[in-house]
Amino acid sequence: MKQLIELSVNGETYELAVEPQATLLEVLRNDLGLTGTKEACGTGECGSCTVLIDGRPVLSCLTLALDCTGQDIVTIEGLAEGERMSPVQQAFQDCGAIQCGFCTPGMVLSATALLEENSRPTEEEIRKALEGHLCRCTGYNKIIEAVNKAAGQMAARQK
Amino acid sequence: MGDRLDYIGQRIPRKDGPAKATGRAEYTADIRLPGMLVGRILRSPVPHARILNIDVSKAIGLEGVKAIVTAKDAPGIKHGFVETPRYPPDQYPLATDKVRFIGEEIAAGAATDPYTAQEALELIQVEYEPLPAVFDPEEAMRPGAPEIHPTHPKVREPYGNIGGKTETEWGDVEAGFSESHYVRQDRFESHLRTHGYLEPQVTLASFEPGGKLNVWTSSQGPFLKRAKLARTLGLSFSAVRVQKAYVGGAFGGKIDLFSHEFCAALLSMKTGRPVRIETSREEIFSAYRHGQPLIVEIKTGVKRDGTLVAQEVRVINNCGGYRGSGVVIIFLAWGFIMLPYRLPNLKYEGYAVYTNNPLRAPQRGHGAPQVRFAVESQLDIIAEELGIDPVEIRLRNAREPGEQLPNGDNVHNCGLKECLEKAAEHTSFRKRYGQKVSAPSPNTRVRRGIGMGVSSYFGGSLIYPNSSSVVVKMNDDGTVTMLTGALDIGQGAETILCQIVAEELKVPVEEIQVIAADTETTPVDIGVWISGNAYVSGNATREAATRVRRKLLEIAAEKMEAYTGDLALENKSIYVKGSPGKRLTYGELVAASIQRRHGDPIIGEGHWRTMRDEPYHPSLASTKGRWSENYAFDVQVAEVEVDTETGKARLVRAVTAHDCGFPINPLLVEGQIDGQVSMALGHAFLEEVIMEEGRTVTPNWLEYRMPTIHNVAVSEHIDVITEHYEKDRPYRTKEVGEGYVSAILAAIANAIYDAVGVRLYSTPFTPEKILKGLGKIR
Repeated sequence: MKQLIELSVNGETYELAVEPQATLLEVLRNDLGLTGTKEACGTGECGSCTVLIDGRPVLSCLTLALDCTGQDIVTIEGLAEGERMSPVQQAFQDCGAIQCGFCTPGMVLSATALLEENSRPTEEEIRKALEGHLCRCTGYNKIIEAVNKAAGQMAARQK
Repeated sequence: MGDRLDYIGQRIPRKDGPAKATGRAEYTADIRLPGMLVGRILRSPVPHARILNIDVSKAIGLEGVKAIVTAKDAPGIKHGFVETPRYPPDQYPLATDKVRFIGEEIAAGAATDPYTAQEALELIQVEYEPLPAVFDPEEAMRPGAPEIHPTHPKVREPYGNIGGKTETEWGDVEAGFSESHYVRQDRFESHLRTHGYLEPQVTLASFEPGGKLNVWTSSQGPFLKRAKLARTLGLSFSAVRVQKAYVGGAFGGKIDLFSHEFCAALLSMKTGRPVRIETSREEIFSAYRHGQPLIVEIKTGVKRDGTLVAQEVRVINNCGGYRGSGVVIIFLAWGFIMLPYRLPNLKYEGYAVYTNNPLRAPQRGHGAPQVRFAVESQLDIIAEELGIDPVEIRLRNAREPGEQLPNGDNVHNCGLKECLEKAAEHTSFRKRYGQKVSAPSPNTRVRRGIGMGVSSYFGGSLIYPNSSSVVVKMNDDGTVTMLTGALDIGQGAETILCQIVAEELKVPVEEIQVIAADTETTPVDIGVWISGNAYVSGNATREAATRVRRKLLEIAAEKMEAYTGDLALENKSIYVKGSPGKRLTYGELVAASIQRRHGDPIIGEGHWRTMRDEPYHPSLASTKGRWSENYAFDVQVAEVEVDTETGKARLVRAVTAHDCGFPINPLLVEGQIDGQVSMALGHAFLEEVIMEEGRTVTPNWLEYRMPTIHNVAVSEHIDVITEHYEKDRPYRTKEVGEGYVSAILAAIANAIYDAVGVRLYSTPFTPEKILKGLGKIR
């Protein structure tokens, strides 16, 4: 039987009736129409469905929507400020770190979470933060470059 | 030569990047239509059987089920990747009398939710009469093997299950071998890999009451899909509209018609409601089309100085239950053998063999990795036997610009020798090869090696839809809209086509709007699966934009009372050279054209067909006929480290010297190369679809290991420019989308040999094979 929950997504609060077995991914995509969160495997192997919960990257395909009440959820739609992309989004664009784009939302969110916590990550720390994300197009070279570039910009901004 | 280039050759970030980075890009699975149903497919659990009966009555009775379809509901029209008189279609979209692989589509259901759709499938009862099955191609060829389809009537040898054969020769190989200084024969094998596109296979079909079928599907071009859907559904082409959605990667795996596309359409026609079928990752791994492992037997004769004299090659391809692209790859394998090096005598035969495996698709490189692995490995063996270094033997045989190929094609602006020299110099190859150095680490059991590979790839051929057309139109405000049938699948098609329009018209890329990949509103396009986008669609775009430029210049000349030759374009306006103040904006020129040219708002069209005078594509049977007029060449150098205790090898650095003509967008070219190096790295070390008796035992990304961010090699690029972009002249820039996945594989194998002296004759390059080669295990 469906249950009523309140979800806070990208700063907005939604009242929803969801099946107990519904994943956060399903609710975001099907109930809220936030289709920027992607499903590539549905079993937690690829990282495409990553969203941020209280600032931490989480696989929304393995998370029950019911467990997310009272938490602060950020999806890829919640990063840009109006027309202006976030530094990580902009760096992905400028460095050629986007090709087909299917892994991009998850990658960008995990990179964002990393840089919020550690504004000057080493390359090894970048790899560690993105190790759960598969990308088939780029070979990851330009993704690492993009995260480095965004880190530099965010560090400069903090000065 | 002349005009400054403002957009071509620039590192312009992709046009669709912001939409993708912000989550606004709409892929097929993101599209929602009112009343949409969920479709699911019932698949065969057995590899080979006769279907005695299908009972759907219980499934139809389930609440929430809106329709079930089987072959009885379909028009009964076969299809195939290749549809020619020699190779007629051999596959029904839904199995009729027999199933020939595990996962073959038997029925489909549409319901209001996925759980009901799944439950409905479980209520369908199918009675099978099992038949003996065969999975190995060489076993399938033996007399007495279970017959999957009859052997092709034109194949005369006493082999079974031959779905197709390519046969060609020139010169006299026997004479060639007898005059050779050194002759050797080797056998190389490759293994089963898959594309690994992140976006699953997915289709949304919506049949309108008026008789129009609207389709969104994750594909590599809408025109081929429209043709095959219309044909198998018994509809006219104009009754089917395939529209653009963003595509989350394809790599060859989304070209042909798939049964889920057919079923979504059929279910929508039956229910009158939109139907979406999205496949699970397990389904893709277990039942969809993977790449094609080849067995390559190659006998080569050379002169004392390493000059190639003769080659005899036999290729066997495991097609699966239907031909798929299996009869194309045995043609292409010939091409990838004869392309980079001069070869006076060749005898080639390739067999496409039916087995009870899922049928197969093109996979990035479509045979080139498998073939180049064989040829380049053997070439290094020969070089060592003769005491020649790997660079010299390649230089000695490399094709030169303007050389004619045995099939009548010309390699035109071939930069292979320059690629060889530059790659060798950049990596100090000659100095470092054969040094068997230890890795610069305290761990002396790790050895480092360097290896080289060469490859070449065609760009566009005459396979439906054969050609590209583009429309470029001016808008009232001086911006531009382009209509192209080309589909951006991540490679950046829309971006580079925009750069061409931007260059011709001096309008910033951001001010060009693209309407793409819609069979109803955009002109036909060759499709992004035959490496013809930059050349075929690109030249069509250039022609369309040129027409617009001429119209702008003519109307400007008239208005300003000047000669067109005295005018120049700049920032959405035209001015008189020498008097930049005398200027009209494009907006003003459009208004003038409407006024003075009977309402013409300035529209240009462009068309391009590769090999415009050739009536048909080359013969898949005999290789006769022109293949392409556009060949890219590349040389790749791999540096590997091999742990002599564990047998584990890894790619440390990849250097790609590439002659792609000229890069329209270096940022995108690098992205293509890096991605291909990564894919080859997966091919070499990580990825394998393991099947047992036709059943996939690695149906997920935990067991099928694609490279992660921990498996990144340093990837360096060297542009060998052999062509320039000039206004009013067709260009011959070449492909970059799949040619660079091959030489690097061979280079890795050669580098492993250089590191530890182990010659590998099959992929993947596992620790087990390396340790066996080192004599450490048996």
